[in-house]
Amino acid sequence: MHYDTREEAATIFNHDGTKPIYMQIAEWLETEILNDHFKSDEKVYSQYQLAEMFTINPATAAKGLNLLADEKILYKKRGLGMFVTANAREAILMKRKSGTLKHLIQELVLEASRLQVSEGELIEMIKAARNEEGKE
Amino acid sequence: MNAIECTSLTKTYLRKKVLNEISFTIEENKIIGLIGRNGVGKTTLLKVIAGFIKETSGELKVFGNHPFNNLHASVNTIFVDDQMSFPPALQLHELLEAAQAFYPNWDMELAQRLFNYFGFEPKHYHNTLSKGRTSTFNMIVGLSSRCPLTIFDEPTTGMDEAVRHDFYRALLKDYIAHPRTIVISSHHLNEVEDLLEDVLLLKNGKVKLHMPISELKEWAVGLKGSSALVRQWAEGREMIYQQYIGQDTMLAVVRNDFTDEEIQRVRRDQIEVLPVRASDLCVYLTNDTKGGIDDVFSDR
Repeated sequence: MHYDTREEAATIFNHDGTKPIYMQIAEWLETEILNDHFKSDEKVYSQYQLAEMFTINPATAAKGLNLLADEKILYKKRGLGMFVTANAREAILMKRKSGTLKHLIQELVLEASRLQVSEGELIEMIKAARNEEGKE
Repeated sequence: MNAIECTSLTKTYLRKKVLNEISFTIEENKIIGLIGRNGVGKTTLLKVIAGFIKETSGELKVFGNHPFNNLHASVNTIFVDDQMSFPPALQLHELLEAAQAFYPNWDMELAQRLFNYFGFEPKHYHNTLSKGRTSTFNMIVGLSSRCPLTIFDEPTTGMDEAVRHDFYRALLKDYIAHPRTIVISSHHLNEVEDLLEDVLLLKNGKVKLHMPISELKEWAVGLKGSSALVRQWAEGREMIYQQYIGQDTMLAVVRNDFTDEEIQRVRRDQIEVLPVRASDLCVYLTNDTKGGIDDVFSDR
């Protein structure tokens, strides 16, 4: 039977070059942790399991795991593998807030200046949007 | 330990230097991609490494031995391409048995399983196989030999897409179970890039780049915006590719030595900052002109 796992991986990872695969691996693991598929002090997939799941080089998978270890989302137990830290959830949420949200705000400010919207106007628009949100 | 050590390696054909004083080192148990344009010397380099042909000058060591005319090299190395020669009098199953007798790490169970999976007939002959089937059979021999140095030169020639993906997966699974040094040359970098650890890029008989594939993705960056501003940001940086679009839009691919702060300023100049695919970057790097095919048609 032709079971094409690569097709499956392609739906998770994009190959258009926007992000290196090891970063996409790291983000996928973060989402798995956020979705409670891995809890604190639970062992995550090894580099070889990840490599096989997504048909990628084990060194690339290891790089993704090490990235999360550097960010204190995972910790290493010598000879046993990588485990989820106690405050992994908070670390991931913090990271996404300071990363994604900050980026969106930069885009917003840039677009506002292109359209010659003043700072005061922009702040008014943000307040109005927040009020709308509050009404719902 | 290093699998391949190569110092000032030169190979001359009819006074033309196909390989011009190449030096590089490949560590053991890595999957390396050998990338380059047609006729750049990929096959020549691989054949020198496999001990099929002798270098003109320079030094080459494969697992510490000079590979040419060396039994140690030939038993530890397999060179797979679509022109592997097999005795025409032997049937396919006899070819597998002959290979088993020669390669000490040969795994007959793996060979049989792959043979059956891809639907080969034991009593057929190698010289009657189609182009794609030849590549598939040769790939089975290449994987099952489990040679410490396994060289695939354009292994997917003629294979259809399903077989190519099966091959990539089989290669990776067997590599995980039995790590060894694997060198793959391919025109389809975007297909094999996820399998690779390092990339070796050849241009004009020289090594243009040798680095981990993950670094290659961040090595260059594309800037797209008004030409004056893009040119301003590109100044002083290595220009890898440039293209003009419409009235006043320019795409420049440059070495990525921007700091985060500079990237912010580039964006504020209303320039799009684009990632560059590894396969595109390799095409840009191996072009002789900065504008590619468009240069042929411009200024006429």
